[in-house]
Amino acid sequence: MQWQTIFKKELTEHWRSFKWIWVPIVFIIFAIMDPLTMYYFPIIMDTVGNVPEGATMDFPTPSVAEAMIMSFSQLGMLGVLIAVVVSMGLVSKEVKSGVYELVLSKPVSFTNYITAKYVAILMLIAFSLAVSLLVGWYYVNILFGTISFIQITISILFFIVYFMMILGIVMLFNSFLKSQGLVAFLSIITVVALNVISSIYSHVITWSPTLISDYINVYFYSGQLETEIWFSSVSAVAITVICLITATITLKNKAID
Amino acid sequence: MDATLIQLLIPLGVLQLILIIIALIDLRKIDETNGPKWMWILIIIFFNLIGPVLYFIIGRRM
Repeated sequence: MQWQTIFKKELTEHWRSFKWIWVPIVFIIFAIMDPLTMYYFPIIMDTVGNVPEGATMDFPTPSVAEAMIMSFSQLGMLGVLIAVVVSMGLVSKEVKSGVYELVLSKPVSFTNYITAKYVAILMLIAFSLAVSLLVGWYYVNILFGTISFIQITISILFFIVYFMMILGIVMLFNSFLKSQGLVAFLSIITVVALNVISSIYSHVITWSPTLISDYINVYFYSGQLETEIWFSSVSAVAITVICLITATITLKNKAID
Repeated sequence: MDATLIQLLIPLGVLQLILIIIALIDLRKIDETNGPKWMWILIIIFFNLIGPVLYFIIGRRM
C-alpha cells in the first residue's frame, strides 16, 4: 500500500517533468544516429567532404552485427550518462529541499522509500532502452540485413540488467550526498573505473557486470550466448541489491542523527 | 535510394521537433529557470538535440 503510494508519486513526478517523453526520444536518436551515418557515409563524403579529384575511397559497409553493436555502444556511453543525470537528484534533492523530512514525518519505511523510487526510475530507463533499441534494430534491419527478434530481445534484457546496476550505484551515492552534481560525478567515475578494471582483467574476472555489453557484442557476432553473461548478470543483480540495502541503512543512520 | 534516405530521416526530424516542442511547453509552464528564460529559448531552438536535453537537465530549477 505505502510502497505503491510512493511509487505512484514518483511516476507522476517523472511524467510531469516530461522524463517519460524526452528520455525515450533522446535514446532513440542515440540508437539510430550511428547506423544511419555509417550507412550513408559515402554519400555524406561525396556531398560535404573535400575529396581531391580522382581520389577513390572504399568504405567497407559494416556488417549487420557491427551496425547493431554501434547502437548498443552509443547507449552504453551516452545512455549511461543520461541515466545517471536523470536519477542523480532522486533522494539528494529531497534531502536538500526538505521534502524528505516531510515524507518521513509520516511512518514511511526507508526500504519502501528507496525501493519505490528505484523501481520507478528503473521502469523509465528500461522502457527507454527497449523502445530505442527496437527502433535501432528496425533501422539496422532496413539498412544492413536481418537480426532475429529473439536475439535483439535477449540482448535488450541483458542490457537492462547492466543499467539496473548503474541505477543502484546512483541510488547509493544519492543516500549520503546532498549535492546532485557530486552524485552524478561519483557515479560516473565508479562506472568508468569498473569498466576499465574489468576490461584490463577481463580474462580473470569474467563475471564482471560491466562485461555484459562485451558479451552482447559476442552474441551478435557469433549468435551464441556466452555462459559468462549469466554470471555477469548475477553479479550485477547482487551489486544492485547491496547498493540498495546500503542506501537504506545510510538513510536510517541519518535519521537517528 | 534517395527516397529511402528521406523516409529514414523524417522520423529523426520529427523526434527532434517533438523534443524542441515539449521543452518549450515546459519552459512556458515553469516558474523559474536557472538563468534567464529567453536564453533557454534560444538554446532549445538553435542547438539541435543538445539544447533541449541541456534544458531538461540543468535548465529546470531543481
